[in-house]
Amino acid sequence: MIAAFDDFQTGLTTRGRCCAEARPRPPLPPSPDALLFFPAYLAPFAALLKMAADSEPESEVFEITDFTTASEWERFISKIEEVLNDWKLIGNSLGKPLEKGVFTSGTWEEKSDEISFADFKFSVTHHYLVQDSTDKEGKDEVLEDVIPQSMQDLLCMNNDFPPRAHCLVRWYGLREFVVIAPAANHDAVLSESKCNLLLSSVSIALGNTGCQVPLFVQIHHKWRRMYVGECQGHGVRTDFEMVHLRKVPNQYTHLSGLLDIFKSKIGCPLTPLPPVSIAIRLTYVLQDWQQYFWPQQPPDIDALVGGEVGGLEFGKLPFGACEDPISELHLATTWPHLTEGIIVDNDVYSDLDPIQAPHWSVRVRKADNPQCLLGDFVTEFFKICRRKESTDEILGRSTFEEEGREIADITHALSKLTEPAPVPIHKLSVSNMVHTAKKKIRKHRGVEESPLNNDVLNTILLFLFPDAASEKPLDGSSAVDNNNPLSESEEYNLYNQFKSAPSDSLTYKLALCLCMINFYHGGLKGVAHLWQEFVLEMRFRWENNFLIPGLASGPPDLRCCLLHQKLQMLNCCIERKKARDEGRKTNTSDMFPGDAGKAGDQLGPDNLKDTDKEKGEVGKSWDSWSDSEEEFFECLSDTEELKGNGQESGKKGGPKETASLKPEGRLHQHGKLTLLHNGEPLYIPVTQEPAPMTEDLLEEQSEVLAKLGTSAEGAHLRARMQSACLLSDMESFKAANPGCFLEDFVRWYSPRDYIEEEVIDEKGNMVLKGELSARMKIPSNMWVEAWETAKPIPARRQRRLFDDTREAEKVLHYLAVQKPADLARHLLPCVIHAAVLKVKEEENLENISLVKKIIKQIITHSSKVLHFPNPEDKKLEEIIHQITNVEAIIARARSLKAKFGTEKCEQEEEKEDLEKFVSCLLEQPEVLVVGAGRGHAGKIIHKLFVNAQRLTESSDEAAAMAPPEEELKRVSSPEERRQNSVSDFPPPAGRELILRTTVPRPAPYSRALPQRMYSVLTKEDFRLAGAFSSDTSFF
Amino acid sequence: MDEDVLTTLKILIIGESGVGKSSLLLRFTDDTFDPELAATIGVDFKVKTISVDGNKAKLAIWDTAGQERFRTLTPSYYRGAQGVILVYDVTRRDTFVKLDNWLNELETYCTRNDIVNMLVGNKIDKENREVDRNEGLKFARKHSMLFIEASAKTCDGVQCAFEELVEKIIQTPGLWESENQNKGVKLIHREEGPGGGACGGPEESKMAVPTESWCLGDSSWMPQLSMIVECYKYFVGPGLS
Ligand SMILES: Nc1nc2c(ncn2[C@@H]2O[C@H](COP(=O)(O)OP(=O)(O)OP(=O)(O)O)[C@@H](O)[C@H]2O)c(=O)[nH]1
Ligand SMILES: [Mg+2]
Repeated sequence: MIAAFDDFQTGLTTRGRCCAEARPRPPLPPSPDALLFFPAYLAPFAALLKMAADSEPESEVFEITDFTTASEWERFISKIEEVLNDWKLIGNSLGKPLEKGVFTSGTWEEKSDEISFADFKFSVTHHYLVQDSTDKEGKDEVLEDVIPQSMQDLLCMNNDFPPRAHCLVRWYGLREFVVIAPAANHDAVLSESKCNLLLSSVSIALGNTGCQVPLFVQIHHKWRRMYVGECQGHGVRTDFEMVHLRKVPNQYTHLSGLLDIFKSKIGCPLTPLPPVSIAIRLTYVLQDWQQYFWPQQPPDIDALVGGEVGGLEFGKLPFGACEDPISELHLATTWPHLTEGIIVDNDVYSDLDPIQAPHWSVRVRKADNPQCLLGDFVTEFFKICRRKESTDEILGRSTFEEEGREIADITHALSKLTEPAPVPIHKLSVSNMVHTAKKKIRKHRGVEESPLNNDVLNTILLFLFPDAASEKPLDGSSAVDNNNPLSESEEYNLYNQFKSAPSDSLTYKLALCLCMINFYHGGLKGVAHLWQEFVLEMRFRWENNFLIPGLASGPPDLRCCLLHQKLQMLNCCIERKKARDEGRKTNTSDMFPGDAGKAGDQLGPDNLKDTDKEKGEVGKSWDSWSDSEEEFFECLSDTEELKGNGQESGKKGGPKETASLKPEGRLHQHGKLTLLHNGEPLYIPVTQEPAPMTEDLLEEQSEVLAKLGTSAEGAHLRARMQSACLLSDMESFKAANPGCFLEDFVRWYSPRDYIEEEVIDEKGNMVLKGELSARMKIPSNMWVEAWETAKPIPARRQRRLFDDTREAEKVLHYLAVQKPADLARHLLPCVIHAAVLKVKEEENLENISLVKKIIKQIITHSSKVLHFPNPEDKKLEEIIHQITNVEAIIARARSLKAKFGTEKCEQEEEKEDLEKFVSCLLEQPEVLVVGAGRGHAGKIIHKLFVNAQRLTESSDEAAAMAPPEEELKRVSSPEERRQNSVSDFPPPAGRELILRTTVPRPAPYSRALPQRMYSVLTKEDFRLAGAFSSDTSFF
Repeated sequence: MDEDVLTTLKILIIGESGVGKSSLLLRFTDDTFDPELAATIGVDFKVKTISVDGNKAKLAIWDTAGQERFRTLTPSYYRGAQGVILVYDVTRRDTFVKLDNWLNELETYCTRNDIVNMLVGNKIDKENREVDRNEGLKFARKHSMLFIEASAKTCDGVQCAFEELVEKIIQTPGLWESENQNKGVKLIHREEGPGGGACGGPEESKMAVPTESWCLGDSSWMPQLSMIVECYKYFVGPGLS
C-alpha cells in the first residue's frame, strides 16, 4: 500500500485507480462516471494545472502517515457526508431566479465545521446567500429531470462581476457552495495525488448523500485561491476546474484565444456550435493625480506667532491627511452581453473601446495608512503613557528640589499658616512667572537651553491662565461660569461620559497644550517642562490666595478625571484659606467670613473660646478624619481668647445651665419649630461644610471603613468615625439654641425620628404628644452618645472638619510627583474627548452619514472604556485607531470632492448628482457611473484618465502634445477620438471574461447542459475557472 | 471559597431615612430583624456571597444614611456601584414622593450609565399602607427599574430582591469584571415563566431593565471600514490588491 502512494507521486493518476485501490470496502460503489478525473478532453487544463503545480516548490504539508488506510479515508468521507446531512444540504430545492444585484444587496452567511483526515484538520464551510424561506416553497419531492440550482446559476447573467463577493461567487455565479480547506492558514494540499484523493472523497460523498450543492476543495497555498470541485445532480455532473498561472500564454490574452480554449474544453460534438454568450469587463487603474495637488501640509511649527502655530492655536487640534488618502481610482468598463461574432478582439485588433462600453462603474482605493494629523497627534500623546522617566530625569536635574523640601515637611508648611500671609500681588504677569521658573531651571542646568522657549511658554501660560494678564486683582470671578449657555448641551456634557473635563476647563486646555507641546515643541522634554511650570503656578496660587481659573466652584466633580478633581480640590483649599485670611483681616468689622460665603453671623466681642485642653479631650473621643488637633475652623489668634462661661457649660452640658448662655452661630430661625422646654423659636445653626473629597480620597476612606469589617464593633467604630459631622452639627445647634434637648435637634435634623401623636389629655382636649422614635431611644445609641458629648460651640470655633492647608499640600505634592506618563494617563480622556469633538466639527462641514454613525459608536465605546479605572492599552489604542479612521474617511471625502471638482460644478443639479456620486464612492465598494462614458461623472473620469495619460506620454516621449483645451475638444468628438482612443486610457489592469453556453456533453445525444468559463488576466497572473457539465446517465 | 467567586459587586442602598434600608440589609445578611437598630450615621457596610444561577458573586453592600445632612457625604459612594437599591416605605407616602429626588441624585453622581436599579417598597407587613403596589410598579417601569415589595420584618421578598438584582447585573455585559478570567459566566436561560422563577414576582418586575448588550471585549461594534479593501481581496488574485 505504501508503494501505491509512491506511484501517485510519479504522475497523473486517474481517480478510478485511486478509488479502487485505496478503498477496499467502499460503503457504496461510486457510479462509474465519478471515476473520471482528467479525461482526455480536459488535457489542456490538466497540463496547465500541472504547469502551475510544478512552479511550486514541493513542500508537502498534507501528510498522512498511512495514506491508504481505508478506515481513515472512509471515516473522512463519512464525516463529509455527516456534515452535509447535518446542514440539510441534501436533495434539490430550487430557489427563485437570482435578481439583479442580489449578490451585493443580499446577505451572505456561512456555517463552519471541522473534520479531519487522520490527524490533518480540514474546515468545511457552507457559504450561502440568505433567501426567504418562502422561496423554497415546499419542493421537497425530488424533481428527477430538473438540473441542480447551481448548474442553472452558472448561466445567470444578473450578477456578473459583483462588487463584493467570495471569489467562487465571482468566478462561477454560485449562490451556495461548500468549501473544504485545510483548517490552519499555513497548511496546504500540494501534491496532485492528494488533490485527487480529496476530490474523490468529495465525489463519493456527493454521490452517497445526493447533495446537489457544489462541493469544493481548496488546494495549493491558500493565497493562490485554487479550488477544484464538483456538483452532482440526477444523471448530471459539473466539474469545477481551475488554472492559475503567473505568466499568461499569449493566446489567452484576448477574446478569440479564450473562445478557442472554451470550445475545445467543451468538445462539443455539434456543428454548428450553439452561440456562446460573452460578458467582458476591462478595469483601468488611475494612479496619477498629478494634475491635482494634495494641499494639506503639516503645520509649520516655526511660524509661531501670537499663539498660532501655522494656523494652529493652542487649544485647537490639527486635522486632515498629509498625503492624498485616495491612492487609486479603478474604472471598470463592462460589456455585459455580447455574442460571438459581434465584436472582434484578437492579438492585432480590438473593438473593445472603454468609451463605448455600455456600463461604467468606479471604485476607489484608499491609501493604506495615510498620515493623519489628528490621529498622529493623539497617538503620539498616548505614547507618553508608556514612558517611564520622571519629570526630573527628563529635565536632567532635580526640578522640585527646593519645593520638594518644603513638601516633604508638611509641618513646616503648616507652620506657615500662622505667619502673616504674603503681600498679595495684584497683577500677575506671565512673563514674571516664566522668568522665575526659568531662572530656577538655569540655576540647575547651567547654560543648557530649557526645552520650551520663552515665547511658547508665555503663550501657553497666558492661554491657560488668562486671568494673569488682566489688570484687575484676582478674585473668584475667573472660575468657570456655571450658567454657561453651552453647559446644557449634549456636546458640552460629553466630559460626563468620557470622565474627562469640561471643554472650557483648565484641565482640558492643559491636555491640549501638552498634546501640542509633545508634537511640536520638544516632545517629552517639553511636556515635562510645561508640567513643571504648571505645578509652580499652582503653588504660587495657593500661597498667594489666587483662585485657579477655569474650574467650576464647589467640591470636586467626581464625573471628571482625577487630575481635574485634584485641581478643584486645590481651589476649594484656596477658597477657604482666602476666606479665613480675609476674615482675619476684617475681624474688627465683626463680620463672620462664613463658610464658603454662606453665613452672615455676627461675631460678638464676647466670643467664647474653649481651652485647648478641652479641645484635646474632645478630639480624642470623637476623632474623625481630620487628625490635626490644632486647626480650628476659624483661626482666631490666641490673644483673642476671652474669658467666658464656656468652660463650665461645656462640662456640665445640661440644658438648665446652658439655657442661660448667649446664643451663637445662628443661621436663621426655623419656620415653625419652637424649643420644647421654653417655647422659644428654634434656630438653625451655621454649620461646617463637609470636607470636599476627590475620588482617591473617597476610595481610601471607604477602604478604611470597609476594613472595619461587618461585626457589631466594626459597625460601631465605622459610625463613630463618620460622626464628626454629626457632632459638629450638634455643637453648632447647641450653641445656637441654648438649653435645647436632643428632641429639638432631632426634629430639625431627622424629623421622621420624632413621632407625634394626637392624644386626649385629662381635660378631654386633643393635644399633640411627641416623642423620639424607638431607634433614637435605644440607650447609648450613637446619637444619644454624641448628644451628651457635644458642647455648645458655634461652627466657627470648632475644630475644622476640613484641613485645607494639609489637603492643599497633599494635592501640590501629588501634582509634583506625577511623571509625564502619569500625566498623559490622567489627561488622555480629555484628549480623546477633544479629538472626538474635532472630528465631529469637521464632519459637520462635510455631512457624511457614515461618519456620523461611527462617531456615535466611538462615543458609546469610549464612555464604556474610559469609565473603568485603568482602561487597557489595547482598548485605548482601538479608540484612537477609530478616531484616526474617521479622520481618514473625512479626508478621503475631501480628496474625492476636490478630484471630481464638486465645488467647481456650476449647474446645481449636476453638482448634486456629483456630490451623491462622491459620497457613494465612500460608502459603497463600487459605484455605477450613470450614463457611462457619456454622463457627467463619466466625462470627468475620462478627463482624469486623459490627463494622466498625457503626463505619462509627455514624460515618456519628450514630444510636445496638443494643448489641453484642444485635447479635451477631441474627447467630445467621437470620430477623432476613435483614432486616438488608444492614448486616452492606459492598458487595462484587469481583463475579465465570462463565456457561457448550453450544449450536450459528452455525446451529441446527451442532455444540453450549462457550460461556463471565467477568465481573468492581470499584470501578475492569469486564471481560468471552468465549470463544465456533462450528462452521466447514458455514458 | 473565594476562588469560585465570579466577581465582586458593589451594591448601594439608598432612600429616605427610616424606610428600613439597614433593616433590609440586616435581614439579607444575617436573616434577622432588629428593632433596636440605630439610625445610620454616614455609611455602613456589609458583605455577603450569594449564588445566582450557578454564579457566585460576592456582594459589597453599602448602606447609606437617608438623613438629609449626611447626603452630602453619601453620593461619593455611588461611584463604581453596579447596582442600586432604592427603598421607600409603603406606609409613608412622603418617602415615595421623594423618590424623584433620589433618582436625580443617582443620575448626577453615578459614574456609569448602565447601572442596574431596583425599587423596593418596604414594610408591607404594616397595616396602614399609603402607597399602592401599582404605583410602585408604575414608577419602576417609567424609570427602567426592577421592582419588588418587601418586608424586612417578615422576610418577604428580601432575598429575592438581592438575587434578582445580582442576576441582572451579571447579565449586563461590561458592567462587571470577572475576577477569574478563564471562568465564564453561566447564563442560564430561565424558563419558569413570566413570574421570573423563584421570586414569583410580577412580569413587570423583569421587563423594564436596560438591555443594551454590549461587550467590552467585542470589537464588532465598528462597521466595516475595511469594506473597500475587502472587495479588492475578492477581486481576482493578489495582483490587483
Ligand atoms: N414593621 C416594619 N418595620 C420596619 C421594617 N423595616 C424597618 N422597620 C423599622 O423602621 C425603622 C427604620 O429602619 P432602619 O432600617 O433603621 O431605616 P433606615 O432606612 O436604615 O434609616 P436611616 O439609616 O436613617 O437612613 C426601624 O425602627 C425598623 O425597626 C419592616 O419591614 N416592617
Ligand atoms: Mg440605616
